[in-house]
Amino acid sequence: MTEICAAMEALFPCREATIETLGDLIGDCEDVYPSAIYLFGHSGTGKTSITREFLRECGRRQKVRTAHLNAIECYTTKIMLENLLDSLASGQGPIKADNMLDFVEQLRRWHDDPEGLSEGFLIAVDNAERLRDMDANVLPVLLRLQQLTKLNLCVILMSQLPFEKFYNKTGLSDVIILHLAQYNKGETQRILASDFSQMRGNLIKKYAKEHDRLEIFKEVMTEDFYNNYMNIFLSVFYKACRDLPELQLTARKCFSIYLEPVLDGSVEATDISRLWRHIAGPLRSALTQIYMRIEKPLDEAEGSTNLEDQSVRKMAQSLELPYYAKYLLIAAFLASHNAANQDKRLFVKHHGKQRKRMQTVNARAKTTEKMSTFVGPKSFSIDRLLAIFYAILEEKVGLTCNLLSQISTLVHLKLLSFVSGEQNIMDGSARLECTVGLEFVLQIGKVVGFNVRQYLCDFM
Amino acid sequence: SRLAEGTPRRSIQLSNIVEKRVFKEDEIISTPKRGRTKKVPEDEDEDEDEDYTPKKSIQKTPTRSRRMSTTTKPSTTPSKAISTPSKGAVAPMTPSQKMKKIRAGELSPSMQQRTDRPMEDSSKSQLQLAREQLHVSVVPTSLPCREKEFENIYAFLEGKIQDQCGGCMYVSGVPGTGKTATVTGVIRTLQRLAKKHELPAFEFLEINGMRLTEPRQAYVQIYKQLTGKTVSWEHAHSLLEKRFTTPAPRRVTTVLLVDELDILCNRRQDVVYNLLDWPTKSAAKLVVVTIANTMDLPERLLMGKVTSRLGLTRLTFQPYTHKQLQEIVTARLGGSQAFKGEAVQLVARKVAAVSGDARRALDICRRSTEIADADSANVKCVTMLHVQQALAEMIASAKVQAIKNCSRLEQIFLQAVAAEVTRTGVEETTFMGVYTQVETIAAFMGAAVPAPGRALRLCAKLGAERLIISEHSRNDLFQKILLNVSADDIHYALRVGEVSS
Repeated sequence: MTEICAAMEALFPCREATIETLGDLIGDCEDVYPSAIYLFGHSGTGKTSITREFLRECGRRQKVRTAHLNAIECYTTKIMLENLLDSLASGQGPIKADNMLDFVEQLRRWHDDPEGLSEGFLIAVDNAERLRDMDANVLPVLLRLQQLTKLNLCVILMSQLPFEKFYNKTGLSDVIILHLAQYNKGETQRILASDFSQMRGNLIKKYAKEHDRLEIFKEVMTEDFYNNYMNIFLSVFYKACRDLPELQLTARKCFSIYLEPVLDGSVEATDISRLWRHIAGPLRSALTQIYMRIEKPLDEAEGSTNLEDQSVRKMAQSLELPYYAKYLLIAAFLASHNAANQDKRLFVKHHGKQRKRMQTVNARAKTTEKMSTFVGPKSFSIDRLLAIFYAILEEKVGLTCNLLSQISTLVHLKLLSFVSGEQNIMDGSARLECTVGLEFVLQIGKVVGFNVRQYLCDFM
Repeated sequence: SRLAEGTPRRSIQLSNIVEKRVFKEDEIISTPKRGRTKKVPEDEDEDEDEDYTPKKSIQKTPTRSRRMSTTTKPSTTPSKAISTPSKGAVAPMTPSQKMKKIRAGELSPSMQQRTDRPMEDSSKSQLQLAREQLHVSVVPTSLPCREKEFENIYAFLEGKIQDQCGGCMYVSGVPGTGKTATVTGVIRTLQRLAKKHELPAFEFLEINGMRLTEPRQAYVQIYKQLTGKTVSWEHAHSLLEKRFTTPAPRRVTTVLLVDELDILCNRRQDVVYNLLDWPTKSAAKLVVVTIANTMDLPERLLMGKVTSRLGLTRLTFQPYTHKQLQEIVTARLGGSQAFKGEAVQLVARKVAAVSGDARRALDICRRSTEIADADSANVKCVTMLHVQQALAEMIASAKVQAIKNCSRLEQIFLQAVAAEVTRTGVEETTFMGVYTQVETIAAFMGAAVPAPGRALRLCAKLGAERLIISEHSRNDLFQKILLNVSADDIHYALRVGEVSS
């Protein structure tokens, strides 16, 4: 047990307590395992990797058979059971298990087997929240598999949810719950800086051709320097994201930019405030790209304006829609975000005089904060869509099948979606909804030369 | 022994749990066509001579052994090839050969024999003998308090058999009122008469809707009782159709007993229709006696054409009154002094007030003999106190006890659910409202407030014990909670507890 813990602690810094608890519970296969362990924590806290490594170490050092599986893959119970049997049996050929009873019987047979060499069995199930959606007997049986099979067996469940979300109507047996808390800032920095030597080696390889740079690099690249960088990096990123893999990825990407002025010789390696001024911009722009995994150099993305705006604009421009389809999309947006009782005032040329009543003025004054573009789209019928389309188009085109088929194309492209009545489109009871945002529609309006804001109730 | 398993769906009680035993009274005979001419009389003679021995089930007569099997497919018993004596010496069969023989009815499904001999009657104590006599599966030869119904069914069946025509009868009554026992008793009497040639011979078939996985399996069962062969239901149906529609000389009357008729009613009602339509054919000579629980079943569930074929010959078994129950139990006990008179009366009155179920009365009596037996005083007689204890065990609800034995937080939770129901006035509460009540009550009582996660666990535990009805805890704060015990029960359980503690 101590060897396993020692081997693990080198790999997983700042997880000594968890590893020790795991070692106490399932470290020694001579002892009796607990029947089930539930391991939970946020994404990126090392549940899967710690368990996987632990099982591997146990399998290597002790007579333990292990199985690690992901509950997402098991869309039927049979797949899960056969996967488990396959990995637990370790090379006895395909074993069949049609249902839970078969599975338990197979395991029991190993118990009866006198020459069963293994003393322990460890089963780890990743994404255990899926077990709730499988057959109702899966989770209760897994939790008491030790009791049912008479084997020294432990089931480890991993999930991001607390166990409170797992109780079913018929009760579950007891389980040992372990929590993996997120790393704090100091721990994060320690883990991020732990890849110093690897990073150094990579960069030396990279700069191998440029001799003068390599010299400077070798001189500059110290652990202090790297730690400083991580400190600066976390001061920007830690508020937004504590997901370790994500931070690691971005930190590596930004490090070369950070290093650039030092290698050029324009800034001293000890002058932290100047280095900060250089890196602050790229770091902030990288912050907007977090979780997006866009593989391109940061310098390009460093636009003058907000990145989000740009992407919407780019998407709107790159979306090649026919002329009428664009108008249809604008009409759909107007139908979604304008109240139907405003249609007459907005789109009919000679609608007569509108009488202002105190009541409506008051009502509107109250709801000023609630812009209809923010509360989400409302549904509309196809008739209304076509009426608005003809009102805003100004040229009169025939209602051909081309036009109607473009509506269904827009639905197909998921720019519009059906809310109800998908079966009876033709009798007019189907209701649609526009799924694109204001920015997008404004861009499209600009392309066709149509001012969308002019027709939106919110902007009047 | 049929009686005991008559209606497991409605009354789960002690009689359904105890193992099935074969008694002498189990001589209701279904008469298969094959081998009937000779074997049956022999068999009967043997039966009359012998005393009760469970060994009989291995006899190789297909008539008797088939009765042992309650399932439609006896193929699952693994030891039957070995236990059949004649097959033991021959080379072992492959499983498919065995299945073939089973389907052809050539292998009789037998059960494993116990290694030691059963206890002698002489070595049993008086209480033990009484307990055996009180067992629900020991059906007496003449049922007490059912003479009128016996007459009624007897007259109907005898008339139908004498007239050589077909007909239908519908028998109804709540569970445990002696329907099946009376009908089989009539059949047994008629079979005895037929054997003495005082009545034309007839065949007797019986099916039970509860023993079928599907209504159409009824055809398979009927055909199996006629020939002993197991075939698919389509085939069985066409063969039965042929048998009942085409006239054949020297066709004997067939009496078909259909127990649990309501299970055979599916949406199309084709099985029930066929079973009731065959008697109308002049060639069939089929008499169908149907048994069910509800009195108005034909009007409520059956189609018009089926109801009209069922006819108006009906008989309703009323629940037993306390006097009748007393008579039944006394008749069972015979001359034994194991029971005090007032003890029997107490059982009879308590049971008659609830359901009038004879099985329940017998079960309670049996339980009281066990209590008397287990009594350290080693008494020979069941007194009122024993009966009262048995009644408390078998009738009283355990909910108050369950609430009393809950943990303190669980009790607070139950109180909170009741308080929330009182506050909102609606039966259905959400976890969130209950949790605020838990916080209030816990603060009032000075207990530490559990975190919502733990409260969810309490809720799940109480839900698993069915003290409340809750949803899956995945929609935690918004799960709906219903109280499954009455609010008074909670107050009663907790207040009485407070005084004593």
